[in-house]
Amino acid sequence: MSETTKENRKYEKPLPEFRPETKPYWEACKRHELVLPRCKACGNVFFYPRALCPNCMSQDLEWIKASGKAKVWTFSIHHMGPTPAYKGEPPYVVAIVETQEGVKMMTNIVNCKPEDVRIGMDVEVVFDDVTPEVTLPKFQPASV
Amino acid sequence: MASSIPRVEEAREILKKHKIVIAGIGETEQGKIPNKSSFQFLSEASKLAIEDAGIKKEDVDGLVTAFSLVEQTFMHCTTFADYFGLRPRYFSSVAIGGATAVWMVAEAAMAIASGQADVVLCVRGDNTLSGISSSGMVALIREMCHTEFEFPYGLTTPGGYALAAQRYLYEYNARQEHLAAVAVTMRKHAALKPNAMHKEPLTIEDVINSRVIAAPLHKYDCSIISDGGAAFIVTTEEKAKSLGIQKPLVYLWGMGEGYSHQYLTSLKNLDQIYNAIETSGQRAFKTAGVGPKDIDVAFLYDCFTITVLLELEGLGFVPKGEAGPFALEGRLEIGKDLPVNTHGGLLSQAHLGAMHHVVEATAQLRGEAGPRQVKDAEVALVHGNGGIVSAHSTIILGKQPLS
Repeated sequence: MSETTKENRKYEKPLPEFRPETKPYWEACKRHELVLPRCKACGNVFFYPRALCPNCMSQDLEWIKASGKAKVWTFSIHHMGPTPAYKGEPPYVVAIVETQEGVKMMTNIVNCKPEDVRIGMDVEVVFDDVTPEVTLPKFQPASV
Repeated sequence: MASSIPRVEEAREILKKHKIVIAGIGETEQGKIPNKSSFQFLSEASKLAIEDAGIKKEDVDGLVTAFSLVEQTFMHCTTFADYFGLRPRYFSSVAIGGATAVWMVAEAAMAIASGQADVVLCVRGDNTLSGISSSGMVALIREMCHTEFEFPYGLTTPGGYALAAQRYLYEYNARQEHLAAVAVTMRKHAALKPNAMHKEPLTIEDVINSRVIAAPLHKYDCSIISDGGAAFIVTTEEKAKSLGIQKPLVYLWGMGEGYSHQYLTSLKNLDQIYNAIETSGQRAFKTAGVGPKDIDVAFLYDCFTITVLLELEGLGFVPKGEAGPFALEGRLEIGKDLPVNTHGGLLSQAHLGAMHHVVEATAQLRGEAGPRQVKDAEVALVHGNGGIVSAHSTIILGKQPLS
């Protein structure tokens, strides 16, 4: 549940495989920046990143810096993980948060007890450098 | 009757004209059967359905299959045609997760109505419980969510449904018992179904006290995994008569699909799911010219308890937020307001998508459901759901031709 997991132990949980159109997102995460794609034609901010706007099909897209602030829309305390790498791990929180920009993201709520997570709770982004190549944006209870 | 659903009157005329029927059903043993392959289950189920209809294999000129989670093939329908020794004029594989079985009926109907085939064998079978490898299971879970933006957070399949369930409990002040009541009813029904995998009695407390898988879903909120096969034969009334089929025919009255999302990340709100269920149901209802009150027995996709509540509400059987108390009052049981999944469903009978839902709906309308028979069952609804309440399909079946 720590923010960064830079132990010597190999990280064996699922990792994202980057696509050409999503690479800038992951590169920003590595710099500990949360960015979101926005369509320059219609102004739509969307998630997950795609090669074109799912609203108007425009390919004229830009990356905007996200506020990093969000609210928990729903969550589930997982007592079983999807791969053997989760065996023996304590329960963890998988959540969908709605960011201030209005998009939904799947994430983990960290740095708080799973039983304290509530729908509507204010959360803020925190970056977890799970491997030298991959940083996963996660969320923790908002400090303010 | 004017309707805002595009071309629904035309669909109704097509079904009235062709009188599409289910004329044969087959179900193998279900459960843990370690000595049979995926293609053996497909073959055995097909043979049973052909024998049930009392036709010859050569009479089958269309084939609709689904997919296998164990023996994954690039071209499932033709791989099975080869194995089974069938030379179909029409062949297709439907792969929309839990919405598949219901849509196989529609796929067959469309093939028949457009002159591509006359007698379509629809079959699914798999040795999912005994045959799937642990890497195959991981691949399956990964398939259910976005590999890049969801899977790295450890989302599981029950977890995806748990996310929907948590939001449902929050928005409608529903309780754990409301979910549990669905599992309890399915178990009661399974006790009456000879090939059901789980028949031992289950109480609300048993469900709530069972192991948490992904809160708020417990072990008994989750469907079972099983080995087995099931099949049905779709044809027309005219063809069935010319082939001398003696079994009571069950008529297709309506069908529809509804799309919400693929990945939960793309879900805007709970209403988006309700709208997809409603879209699917309304097209089927309007085509059939009936409404929720006309349904004598319903078969709702029950991969997790939450889906039954969402479907009861989305299809218009009860208002939003009221399915939980409805289930808790036992009103989904045989002999009550709306008997649901009289065979025990995915929660207690077996898991082969909605194949058994279609087979049992047919058995009910034939009057062949034995101790599970819903008295005077004339009209049945079957609803399938694929993904994480993402893709929906509905059919309505009648004991009489559509008039």
